[in-house]
Amino acid sequence: MATHEAALRATHTVTRPASVVWSWVTTVDHKRIGILYGATAFFFFLMGGIEALIIRLQLARPNASVVSAETFNALFTMHGTTMVFLAVMPFSAAFFNYMVPLMIGARDVAFPRLNALSYWIFLAGGLLLNASFLAGAPPDAGWFGYANLTSRQFSPSLSVDFWVLSLLVLGMSSVIAGVNFIVTILNMRAPGMTLMRMPLFVWMTLVVQFLVVLAFPPITVGLIFLMFDRFFGTHFYDVAAGGDLHLWQHLFWIFGHPEVYILILPAFGIVSEVLPTFARKPLFGAPVVIYSGVLIGFFGFGVWSHHMFAAGMGPVADTAFAIGTMLIAIPTGVKIFNWLATLWGGTIRPTTALHFAVGLIGTFTIGGLSGIMHASPPVDLQQTDTYFVVAHFHYVLIGGSLFGLFAGAYYWWPKMTGRLLDERLGRWQFWVVFVAFNVAFFPQHYLGAIGMPRRIYTYAPGMGWELWNLVSTVGAFALGLGVLLFAVNAWRSLRSGPQATADPWDGRTLEWRTSSPPPPHNFDAIPAVHGRDTFWREKHGRVSSARTAGATPAHADEHVHLPAPSYWPVLTAAGIGIAAAGALLHVSVVVLGALVAVAAVFAFALEHHRNPAHVHQDGNLETDHRKVGMWVFLGSECLFFGTLIATYLAYRGRSVVGPTPGEILDIPITSVSTFDLLMSSLLMVLALAAVQRGDRRQARWWLFGTAFFGLIFLGFQAYEFTSFVHEGLTLQTNLFGSTFFVLTGFHGGHVTVGVIWLLTLWTLDLRGRLGQGDAIKVEVAGLYWHFVDIVWIVIFTVLYLIP
Amino acid sequence: MSARAGSLWERRVGHVALVLLLGGCSWDTPMSTVAGRSDFARSILDVYAIITWATVVIALVVFGVLAWVLLRFRDRPGAAMPRQTHGHTALEIAWTIAPALVLLVIAIPTVQIIFRTQAASVSPDALQVTVRGWQWWWEFRYPGLDVVTANELYLPVGRTVTLRLEGPDVIHSFWVPQLGGKRDVIPGRVNHLSFTPATPGEYRGQCAEFCGASHANMRMKIVVVPPDAFDRWVASQRTPGLEPSGAAAEGKAIYARSACVGCHTIRGVSSGTIAPDLTHFGSRATFAAGLYPNTVDDVAAWILDPVAMKPAAKMPALGLTPAEARALATYLTGLK
Repeated sequence: MATHEAALRATHTVTRPASVVWSWVTTVDHKRIGILYGATAFFFFLMGGIEALIIRLQLARPNASVVSAETFNALFTMHGTTMVFLAVMPFSAAFFNYMVPLMIGARDVAFPRLNALSYWIFLAGGLLLNASFLAGAPPDAGWFGYANLTSRQFSPSLSVDFWVLSLLVLGMSSVIAGVNFIVTILNMRAPGMTLMRMPLFVWMTLVVQFLVVLAFPPITVGLIFLMFDRFFGTHFYDVAAGGDLHLWQHLFWIFGHPEVYILILPAFGIVSEVLPTFARKPLFGAPVVIYSGVLIGFFGFGVWSHHMFAAGMGPVADTAFAIGTMLIAIPTGVKIFNWLATLWGGTIRPTTALHFAVGLIGTFTIGGLSGIMHASPPVDLQQTDTYFVVAHFHYVLIGGSLFGLFAGAYYWWPKMTGRLLDERLGRWQFWVVFVAFNVAFFPQHYLGAIGMPRRIYTYAPGMGWELWNLVSTVGAFALGLGVLLFAVNAWRSLRSGPQATADPWDGRTLEWRTSSPPPPHNFDAIPAVHGRDTFWREKHGRVSSARTAGATPAHADEHVHLPAPSYWPVLTAAGIGIAAAGALLHVSVVVLGALVAVAAVFAFALEHHRNPAHVHQDGNLETDHRKVGMWVFLGSECLFFGTLIATYLAYRGRSVVGPTPGEILDIPITSVSTFDLLMSSLLMVLALAAVQRGDRRQARWWLFGTAFFGLIFLGFQAYEFTSFVHEGLTLQTNLFGSTFFVLTGFHGGHVTVGVIWLLTLWTLDLRGRLGQGDAIKVEVAGLYWHFVDIVWIVIFTVLYLIP
Repeated sequence: MSARAGSLWERRVGHVALVLLLGGCSWDTPMSTVAGRSDFARSILDVYAIITWATVVIALVVFGVLAWVLLRFRDRPGAAMPRQTHGHTALEIAWTIAPALVLLVIAIPTVQIIFRTQAASVSPDALQVTVRGWQWWWEFRYPGLDVVTANELYLPVGRTVTLRLEGPDVIHSFWVPQLGGKRDVIPGRVNHLSFTPATPGEYRGQCAEFCGASHANMRMKIVVVPPDAFDRWVASQRTPGLEPSGAAAEGKAIYARSACVGCHTIRGVSSGTIAPDLTHFGSRATFAAGLYPNTVDDVAAWILDPVAMKPAAKMPALGLTPAEARALATYLTGLK
């Protein structure tokens, strides 16, 4: 054992790169990436906080002129966008990254380099968004960016361009991370760690990642429409051309409401870890808490229109979405009661982490209950777009998410840094934050009830709003002080805090079983799991030999493969960032960025092509990580194409000028290209079978054949597009042109990616580098290819065949 | 000593908090959502009250239990390891059903009031008003009465009004809290809002959907008057204004030869349609969507530099001299 550890350390020393900065830039260690997420999120969190304080200064008095109307609008837009995408989400990501592999007893995430890629893309998106300040054009149309205020006509400057491009970049980062964590959790659990034995935080992470991969495609499509409207003159949000402004609202809130749960469920997971640890009792009714979290996530997809009760959807839709929204209150309430029952009968140790967790129960209860109030559409008509709603979601997002994240920070800080935070200062910080938060936001309920609208940069005296706005501003500054106290505590701990033991809190889950901070390989031997709270059972003698039967004993001498550092993730992200920024500068910069990204992706993909450690990556599902990942990604793609197709259907017949689909679409020719694409799927099956049995000659033919048939399809599409343009149908002609070209164009883009992928595999095969062991790579490409073909069948049916 | 000082200090804080709560919170303010002055607003308050009390009771129960648990089960030196209970099925079923019952109590009146306040058919004798939300002012047209005005809506008490909401530019939201809930004004879609004002008075409203730079400055006033007063108001709005004299006549000439005519209507003088109708401008108490009192000084200042008085206002500065602006303001404020 001892020699084994020494060997591990030796390997580690050898692979450690020369410079510290370089080692962080190229790191693929989930723990380091977690720290990068956390530090970056804290930086953006301070930015968003400063924006909030300027907002509060302006509103402290009526008719104030601290900032101009335009600046104020930019500040609340940036505050909202920053706090949602650049602070709370990456704070959660910090804990996902650091803790999930430790809590499930894994050595890393499923795709360590993709994990680094997610972080660097996130950083690129965050920097691009904030670069808008330097360009003098910060986004100013609200974090919800309602069309048509975001159109070129009403927002002619670069402001909305910055917003739409950086959100697209950030969405990419989130979806990649989502796929990665779903595969990690489903496929990389330690022996004996069944799904129902997983810690609650891991469960909530899993739910959140499903929400991410399913909720981001609709907003991505919505943003793509907006980008096309602004850059290429399409008509998605153009009322004069027949566009419907409800479209953006639906696409935004289909994402936006699940996003609320993306922000809050990680905090619920943290509380569900912290309470049992400090009450020294298991989580009360853990399965019910798990099901509640899953139900909240599931219902979260069916209630988006409660953000649109004032938009005039009619009484039937209002009723349906009201009932759905109220239903969510049930699993949410169940969670609160189970937390109370967890504390009940325990011996509660009042640590700072527990303070924040209990604080969450109190303040989130207020935020949840005020949420029930505006689940009722009549009441919502008086509350929506007022400070009552501002109070509500700050109770949810500060009193809920942020308190939960602070609890997590105090709870896991010793594990992440190896040092303890000052508990006395921590409790001071809690009380400052708790009191200041309530002083800042409780009065906003009252302000909303007496009619103060949201998003107003000023107000006249005599409305009864003066006093409580001033109080709220005082509270906001005190809240800022509370956040700084955390920074002080963190700084002091890093400089001179006492060393933390491996298990300072008498923890219950696997992360406390390894040193603080953990070694690069996390565990010297992968622990066997004997039940929920397995580490607690080990320590407190609850493990009987009979119960270990289900778990495979871990091998002390297993081979530990640690992924090597890679600079391709950061280069890929840089290419994406340059391309996005290029859209604001010059098309040549877009091309440059795209070239960098594509080249880096190739290098990324081929970096470990011959590494034997990458041949098999089977996990708990007895399926290769890459295959599970592709399935999850395709699930996300279903939502992407589903949204595009739904938009086409919603806009069918709404064009105000011709030509119409009946005049343009050529069914016979497209039938031929459809048949060609279907046949390519058959060739793909033959190619995979050939690779699997090691028949390189056949494999070569069928791989090339598949790609060739794909090329033929693209040729048909090019012909079709050109002839349509000749007949007078372009992106800009009418709604039909906009929806048709964007939908079929994105499908064609997917085919193009598939063709390049297949040709790459074919080239590898020609050079003798595609052996039988690489069949999984062909299989994953095949899954993608079949999916793209099936999507075309749907498109062909919906666009061409249904009149 | 410290205990005494502490309690004294606590008592003082308590006093201050109480004074703030009672003295600082008036519920009958100009834009209060809980001072209903129409059937619509009062219907909302019915369900509002039920939900408020239900949620307050739930909150107090949760806080009570939480406080008791924290005091009772605090770790004490030498405390034994607590019993490792994993759950209790009956209890958990109970606290799943309990919120469902509370929600039923909330849902039933909610659905009733949704359908009551969004009646599909519009009563034929309702007053019809077309509301147009513009960046950043309100246009009110009374199609049956041949009256067009801006930012000040006159309504007769006790008669149902049906607002037809049209958006010529971006999304706005019509909201007069004392008369009921808000409804978005959406370009390309027509929304409706119906209510019956119950009490005469002046009510404040404001755009409730963010609509660009001067969203905060898109205010309005609803004047609810007895039916005979309403008829008199309509009659006065329909009569052509008096022919101006003196400085006002000079102002009219300036108006007629300036860019004003491209956007504004003054019946008999100009017929622009993308800015407020000024035919009876002087009869309105405020201008610029409720921002300024309708005085010669303020109107003259506005004419010289609209954007300085209302950020991003669409009206351009006309390049008039201060004297010309004053003459024009005299003319406009005289259009009663």
